[in-house]
Amino acid sequence: MSENNSQPIIVCKDVHKWYGEFHALRGVDMEVAKGEVIVIFGPSGSGKSTFIRTINRLEEHQRGSIAVNGIELSHDVRNIEKIREETGMVFQQFNLFPHISVLQNVTLAPIWVKKMPREEAEELGMELLTRVGIPEQAEKFPGQLSGGQQQRVAIARALAMQPEIMLFDEPTSALDPEMIKEVLDAMTELAKSGMTMLVVTHEMGFARAVADRLFFFDEGNVVESGTPQDLFNNPQEDRTKLFLSQILQH
Amino acid sequence: MFRKLLTLLSLLVVAAVFMAACGAPTPAAPATEEPAAEEPAAEEPTEEVMEEPMEEPMEEPAQEEGGGILARVQERGTLICGGRTDLAGFGSLDDDGNNVGFDIDLCRAVAAAVLGDANAIEIVPLTSADRGPVLQTAEVDLLSRNVTWTSSRDVQWGDFTTVMFYDGQGFMVSDASGITSTDDFADGISACVTSGTTTEQNLADYFRQRDIEFEPVIFEEAAAVYGAFQEGRCDVTTSDRSQLVSVRSGFDDPSAYTILDDIISKEPLTPAVPHGDTAWFDTVKLVMWSLINAEELGVTSANVEEMKNSENINVRRLLGVEGNYGYEELGLGADALANAIAAVGNYGEIYDRNLGPDAAVTLPRGLNELWTEGGLIYAPPVK
Amino acid sequence: MATSDTGIDQSTSIPFYRDERIINWIAQIVSAVLVIGFLIWVVVNFLAAADARGFSLGFNFLNDPAGFPINDPGIEYDPSMTYGRAILVGLVNTLRVAIAGVVAATILGTTVALARLSPNWLLSRIALVYIEFHRNIPLLVLLFIWYFSVFTQLPPVRESLVLPGPVILNLRGLYISWPRLTETGGPLAIALIIGIVLATIAYFVLRRRREETGQETYYGWVSLAIVVVSAIGGWLVSGGTPLYLDVPVLDGFNYAGGLRLTPEFAALFVGLTMYTAGFIAEVVRAGIQAVDRGQVEAANAVGLSNLQVLSLVVIPQALRVIIPPMISQYLNLTKNSSLALAIGYQELFSVGRIAINQAGQAVPVFAIIMVSYLTLSLLTSAVLNVYNRRIQFVTR
Repeated sequence: MSENNSQPIIVCKDVHKWYGEFHALRGVDMEVAKGEVIVIFGPSGSGKSTFIRTINRLEEHQRGSIAVNGIELSHDVRNIEKIREETGMVFQQFNLFPHISVLQNVTLAPIWVKKMPREEAEELGMELLTRVGIPEQAEKFPGQLSGGQQQRVAIARALAMQPEIMLFDEPTSALDPEMIKEVLDAMTELAKSGMTMLVVTHEMGFARAVADRLFFFDEGNVVESGTPQDLFNNPQEDRTKLFLSQILQH
Repeated sequence: MFRKLLTLLSLLVVAAVFMAACGAPTPAAPATEEPAAEEPAAEEPTEEVMEEPMEEPMEEPAQEEGGGILARVQERGTLICGGRTDLAGFGSLDDDGNNVGFDIDLCRAVAAAVLGDANAIEIVPLTSADRGPVLQTAEVDLLSRNVTWTSSRDVQWGDFTTVMFYDGQGFMVSDASGITSTDDFADGISACVTSGTTTEQNLADYFRQRDIEFEPVIFEEAAAVYGAFQEGRCDVTTSDRSQLVSVRSGFDDPSAYTILDDIISKEPLTPAVPHGDTAWFDTVKLVMWSLINAEELGVTSANVEEMKNSENINVRRLLGVEGNYGYEELGLGADALANAIAAVGNYGEIYDRNLGPDAAVTLPRGLNELWTEGGLIYAPPVK
Repeated sequence: MATSDTGIDQSTSIPFYRDERIINWIAQIVSAVLVIGFLIWVVVNFLAAADARGFSLGFNFLNDPAGFPINDPGIEYDPSMTYGRAILVGLVNTLRVAIAGVVAATILGTTVALARLSPNWLLSRIALVYIEFHRNIPLLVLLFIWYFSVFTQLPPVRESLVLPGPVILNLRGLYISWPRLTETGGPLAIALIIGIVLATIAYFVLRRRREETGQETYYGWVSLAIVVVSAIGGWLVSGGTPLYLDVPVLDGFNYAGGLRLTPEFAALFVGLTMYTAGFIAEVVRAGIQAVDRGQVEAANAVGLSNLQVLSLVVIPQALRVIIPPMISQYLNLTKNSSLALAIGYQELFSVGRIAINQAGQAVPVFAIIMVSYLTLSLLTSAVLNVYNRRIQFVTR
């Protein structure tokens, strides 16, 4: 396995997915290099969330291939487990475990999956909570935190498994406006540290500032991709132009 | 505005009735726009509604002033008897669903005497364990369900009238068990028995006296007792011998079972009435005696009318043609006993109909012959 | 200030009969008076009725000899003992079947629920049929089926099934060879108790160390070793054979010795367990389904295995939904055990019925029965409610 930066860490080829009759993904191709920050955007129902969820197998793809860090995603349960250990995921609805404390949310996987000693896991947990800016909330329960704080805990929880890749599925969509910034700040900090990130979002300011490449999804496929400058300043496709004009109007 | 408060209060009364059991905190009852009752005391009607059903049983006790059980029976027009429907010969249902049997006929005789109609009866089927409480609470006017008369029951349950069937507790075994007499009983033997019976206690005493370790298998329903016995759950089953004969006749293969000769107890089966109503107690006793005396005097259901012209002074008194045997004091008609005999026959007729040689269940009369025939059936004279 | 003006307005301008605080107070007082009055009326009425019928309301009969036998007493009993003892035997028998039933029904019910939720079509269908069967047939019918169609259809004593052990099965029950202490067994028993206590302590201490330091402490093996060593030590100290195997042998009409389960207990236990498990399965299923799907996804995403997802994330959250209806199921099972009356297992209600009949004491015996069930129910509810409060989510 090469650590070479030019070597892609995620390779998706011709990924298809059907929900019954509905063809949700129609042959998506994507290669992501290590350390790259990718922003995926597009109208709702375009398959962007579905796509990001196939990468850690929360959704099963039915055709094509996905390889993460050289591991082919197949029906082999061991491969699925390995890939999940190497990818962290942040959800739109946070999905924190409400029955355990914030710190326990972060340390659960290291202790049970990596068999890390509790003390070490708690040290790591506090370190990560400090990194996302809320070490003082460690002993509280998720229900006692604001949405922005919860999403930052979710980021810390995903980082606790020390993943190679972080997946963000609309991380700010469920937040009140005044809380979006604190989450984006944490993500920007993460991007600067060299983390490979796939982000589904409509925060175009974040995309412009942080993303290396943008992918525009529509009707289950990539319509257009390129650097933020390319896409924002010089979109090639009509659908891209239309969508950008709609979301950048205000 | 004051009216609204009254509405609220009356609603609360209703709420309180529902809450009485749990004592939950009051939800604030919504004040409705409904007009309140005119009277200031709006609570009263509601309270009456809730009291009424509770008061009813209070009026029933036999000894209350203003009429005892006899008055109650006559007003109701039916006699309520505690009986059974699961013991051929004593209390069962015929093909048409009518209650028939020895115990049932005793009940019919009483109905004929006090209501003039032997069919004006209602049979309440009871398990053995139900008998005591039902009599204690006077839910039945007469308990005629092969009840053994014992001193403690006499004290606790009710008044026992007169022994109508002399029985004794016996054992039944399956021939497959290899038991041929009680001498074969040994440790580990298991016995199926009905709960809440004297036989249950006799059984325990019997084995304790013989120092035999036994396993009691106890059910409340007689059907379960004999069902489990037939399946082989028990080596023996025990009950009054009359009952054993009766149930055996209903077994799939009666010839595969034997009733042992030994009798381990006295079981005088006696109709009983609730405690405290002497007049009713006397009435039922009188009917029972009349059935026995009728057999002794040769009065049958067929010849009642004819016998009213009899020369025999005892027969004339029994049938109410001459003298007063006590019916006036009890508030009965002179022909009350004649009616009873006409309806169900004398003791011998009742016995033969239900337990005689032609009946489905046959028991030799044995101790239940008249005293004049060497048995124990004997009644005080009706005069 | 404007605020104090409105404050005065609130307390002075409305007439008392429109003041919701006063109305609520009056409502409370009136309903309290009515409830208490009603209860007093009921009691007075009851006492009058009991007096009129000559019911004895005393408990003295509890000291009289009962005189009736009891099948399969859970504690020592013979008919020369008192009514009090007989009723206690009934209570012990109720507890015996209720505790065993609650444990077994919980395990079985959870298993059925997981099968019901399984993606395996066949398994899920079988679970569905199981649930529907048991929820739609009256328990009494099930008990009759188990007793008369299953347990009393086993071979008679002389044709018993003898399995290695020996374990003996016939229509009088199941007999298992069982180790019992001899007269010199005291030291062994004491050593074993000490050993088990020490092993338990060692287990938790060492497991904690393992979690905190990550070093393997072999806590399972260490605690097992402690038990074995203390057992051997106890055996040596007792000098001679401290244990013997109580083997069931055919003696007279039946097998004697060993540990015995009667068909009556077996039918009630199996019937109650399977019946209640049908309801518990639905309770557990509802609880698991109440856990947001996102929770499972999040747990999967951090790499937990399916079993870990279930035990660390789903079940702890499902319990919050499961516990309250589960309390009802436990109480139902306990109270339903009184149907044992029909199949000859003698628990509290059945013994109580006999006592009522033999002693002629309906009121005191029913009072004892009701207070016993009430106490059992309240205790169960109290314990589980405390637990339920502890597992509720903490939120703002």
